[in-house]
Amino acid sequence: MDKPLSFCSGRAWSWTSNSSGSLWRFGLGTPLQCRPGWREQQQRTFIQMRTNLKVVDNSGAKWVMCVQALKGRRGVRLGDTIIASIKEAQPRGKVKKGEVVYGVVVHAAMHRGCCDGSEIKFDDNAVVLVNKQGEPIGTRVFGPVSHELRKKKHVKILTLAEHIA
Amino acid sequence: MRLEKCWFCSSTIYPGHGIQFVRNDAKIFRFCRSKCHKNFKMKRNPRKLKWTKAYRRLHGKDMTQDSTFELERKRNRPERYDRNVTESTLKAIKKIDKIRVAREARHHAMRMKGKKAIEQQAAAKELEQSIHLVKAPAALQEDPSLTLPKMKIKVSQSQTEDRMEE
Repeated sequence: MDKPLSFCSGRAWSWTSNSSGSLWRFGLGTPLQCRPGWREQQQRTFIQMRTNLKVVDNSGAKWVMCVQALKGRRGVRLGDTIIASIKEAQPRGKVKKGEVVYGVVVHAAMHRGCCDGSEIKFDDNAVVLVNKQGEPIGTRVFGPVSHELRKKKHVKILTLAEHIA
Repeated sequence: MRLEKCWFCSSTIYPGHGIQFVRNDAKIFRFCRSKCHKNFKMKRNPRKLKWTKAYRRLHGKDMTQDSTFELERKRNRPERYDRNVTESTLKAIKKIDKIRVAREARHHAMRMKGKKAIEQQAAAKELEQSIHLVKAPAALQEDPSLTLPKMKIKVSQSQTEDRMEE
């Protein structure tokens, strides 16, 4: 999985000397691919236009692409609503590919601060499709859901959820 | 408010600290600080890192089974607030902590028990073998009392005669 280090140029590692002698550190001078764990240390940002999100309800859609972030200049976070276009859908579902729908973000890979000061983040970006009034189109919600939704008044989604984190 | 345990190093996470990571199978990983979080992202096994409690418990450095741990179990049923109960619980927490710390200290003492004797033996052996690094062998032969100041040297008859001749 890891690329061989031979492709790194001669000055890839920064030789820093400290009191215990010279060590080689994976500092900012090394190319990203040479640092161990680089794949996991991605910068996670907001959900914005063109972001692909997974759909975690049974409305029929599988993947949507965000078309408009309804709140926020830089993008949308956990618990906010977006307008999305359905990119992939199941053949017999309530919605079809190409439809433009509203969605509530239930998983965000970007960490979001809770009111008690801690931060929570998920493994991927996921959305639950809703109608304009905020009621979910589907009847089931899969996977864990953040309890930030309670503050945003998406109570129906919380009642459908199997696990609230 | 609830005090959680860090998934990686098992230290307590106080409110306002740390990051919670929720995986898609609804398993929640709580980390007390970014050190633990970054090690988790690097997919390191806490049982192999010496500074984590998981390693210490696994390798017998820290106490594993004790009745004081039973009292710290997670309880999911909320208790109705009762002032007396709260007071006695707080007192009990302090007492249990004291007992647990004492027991841990005892466990540590047991673990380090033979250490001083081993250290003394090793030091004596090193002195015996490597005294030539400190004092020249010629000097040792002339005056044997230069070697170990506390050891009693038996001066044999032939040596005294040599000295007399010199």
